[in-house]
Amino acid sequence: MRKCLGISSTALGIAAAIVACVPIIVAAQSSPDAAKAGAKTAAQASVKSDKNAAAKPQNWVMPRTADGHPDFSGYWNSLSFTPMERPAKYGNREFLTPEEMKEKFKSGVRGSYEPGAQGSEDRYGGELFNPDSVDYDATTYGLSPWQNGIKPNPRTSLVVDPPDGKIPPLTAEAKARLAAGDRAAGGFPYVVDDHHGGAVVHADRAKDLGQNTSCVTQSGGPPLIPAEYNSGLFMAQNPAYLMIETETGSEFRIIPLDGRPHVSASIHQWHGDSRGHWEGDTLVVETTNLRPDHTYRNGDPKTQKITEYFKRISADTIEYKFTVDDPSTWTKPWSAIIPMSVSTGPLFEYDCSENNNDAVNILAGARAFEKKAAEGKPISQK
Amino acid sequence: MVTAAMLLSMAVRPAARQAPAAPGAAAAGKIPAPGQFPPYRAPRTADGKPDLNGIWQAFVTADIDIQDHDAQAGPHPDVMGAYGAWPGGQGIVEGGEIPYKPEALAKKKENAEKRMVVNITSDPHRHDTGDPELKCYMPGVPRANYMPFPFQIIETPHVVMMAYEYARALRTIYMENDKAVPQEPPADSWMGWSHGHFEGETLVVDSKGFVPYSWFDRAGDYHSDALHVVERYTPVSPYHIMYEATIEDPNVFTRPWKMSFLLYRRMDKNIQLVDFNCTEFVLDFLYGQYSKKIDK
Repeated sequence: MRKCLGISSTALGIAAAIVACVPIIVAAQSSPDAAKAGAKTAAQASVKSDKNAAAKPQNWVMPRTADGHPDFSGYWNSLSFTPMERPAKYGNREFLTPEEMKEKFKSGVRGSYEPGAQGSEDRYGGELFNPDSVDYDATTYGLSPWQNGIKPNPRTSLVVDPPDGKIPPLTAEAKARLAAGDRAAGGFPYVVDDHHGGAVVHADRAKDLGQNTSCVTQSGGPPLIPAEYNSGLFMAQNPAYLMIETETGSEFRIIPLDGRPHVSASIHQWHGDSRGHWEGDTLVVETTNLRPDHTYRNGDPKTQKITEYFKRISADTIEYKFTVDDPSTWTKPWSAIIPMSVSTGPLFEYDCSENNNDAVNILAGARAFEKKAAEGKPISQK
Repeated sequence: MVTAAMLLSMAVRPAARQAPAAPGAAAAGKIPAPGQFPPYRAPRTADGKPDLNGIWQAFVTADIDIQDHDAQAGPHPDVMGAYGAWPGGQGIVEGGEIPYKPEALAKKKENAEKRMVVNITSDPHRHDTGDPELKCYMPGVPRANYMPFPFQIIETPHVVMMAYEYARALRTIYMENDKAVPQEPPADSWMGWSHGHFEGETLVVDSKGFVPYSWFDRAGDYHSDALHVVERYTPVSPYHIMYEATIEDPNVFTRPWKMSFLLYRRMDKNIQLVDFNCTEFVLDFLYGQYSKKIDK
């Protein structure tokens, strides 16, 4: 989702990750816990093959807040090399074999600091880490997923329902809506697109840069989807509230747990209006009141309902599942599971608008381009 | 030199301690006198700490000027009418005066004169002029606490989160039992690097590691990256917190100085923070000089 031109993520974000990276690297190499996110064969095999498995707490006790509910407080990271939708070669197979999981992680790590070296579309999900993208090169601007605490994921895709691992087809109504949106944007679905060498920089004003590059909103969900960098999460919880801070943009959601009703339908928010309730040890969070211009995957704000399920399944893993129900956009509801692995804090303030060099440089560049073109001396876009 | 810590140790206690009103005054049907609170002990969290959870808001006009000031028309009354007017108010600086060094006072005056001169560049010169509030930048500390917007305190055993409706600024106060975080600020930031602990009823928050770009108000009061703020949040009734801050910055001030005001618990039955993501509102204001000129 994010079109990451986020060089403006600033020295702070980079410094943050540098400070945090050492213990994360150790964790990434020694912990097989992501495997416990539901894989049977892969989980068993990876635990067996992991020399450090014995060091793991054998009798983990669920941490709980004062009122007895599971406590999600702490630092988490949900990066993996598993794509959102399942590559065709896996068919209906939900889990990788232990060998596949090992190789996928190894080659993913290698590719993450050697951009392009191992790039293959089945290893990198469109929304997750994509080292072939020229707009974010971890080796230049920040830390690779490997340094950011990426963990192996035993699944072949994040989408688990429907069983083919694919997001269901768009409805005819949604297709028409998205096409109209593209036309309104002058035929540019992504207004600034420097992915495919030679795309026109089309930004007349800052709003055209899009919500991410203009620093209006960058993360926060729902749902909580990791991106190329700064994918850390911090959760602070007491009996009345769960607060979730997303590292990118230092955005936060404050989720009441006391059963109060949603705000009025006349209020629209960047991260909607979330309410949590407990179903056993699972925290179920329902979100409504989304802004018309900020729905998940350009869904219909009038019908989109996102439900998140948070479940601690081990000392170092939250199984995070979300369901998207938006009957005017997709032909049926669909769900994905993204394991959140324990990470090392703290998160650092992410000043975006305060330090947005991209907005200045892209707009100034577009004006320079237009000026040269008007003078009959166009600048090559290559 | 007087340090912030020394100043705090001789700090004036909240009025509650100094001159408690006669117990039962309210019960006897008397309107409480301003600044007077009966002795109070806050409810406790499950781990025995004063419970400051809630949504709070200051009702002072310090965001306009932390010192005494008259009402004024505000910018562009020709188009804004009374919408743009700024209320007068009494200051929050104890003793009234801010002990600027002479050259720093000149800078404050220049800040005020150029508070609406905004020139956004792709380098730190973007911060040379213009009130950060005008640009929707993070408010910094202590300004965040007296912006005319509510903020929410979420208290847990390890951290106290302060989430501000204005520009969705966020502070994490690391409490004593959070040993994993660095003591010293790993990098400078707008909202600072904060450690907290309780002294009796009072949450004491020690913050430094600030960028030099935030201001205290629209009047141009400012600080450097040597800013050190020690805040005391003392609940004085179920509905009020006495806020005190000691400001120390040897680059700008000749000595530490203090501010204080009350925070009010928002009691509206449906109260919650809502979005004030003003970045969306200032895009053309900030970057208009780089926008395409459209012929009309």
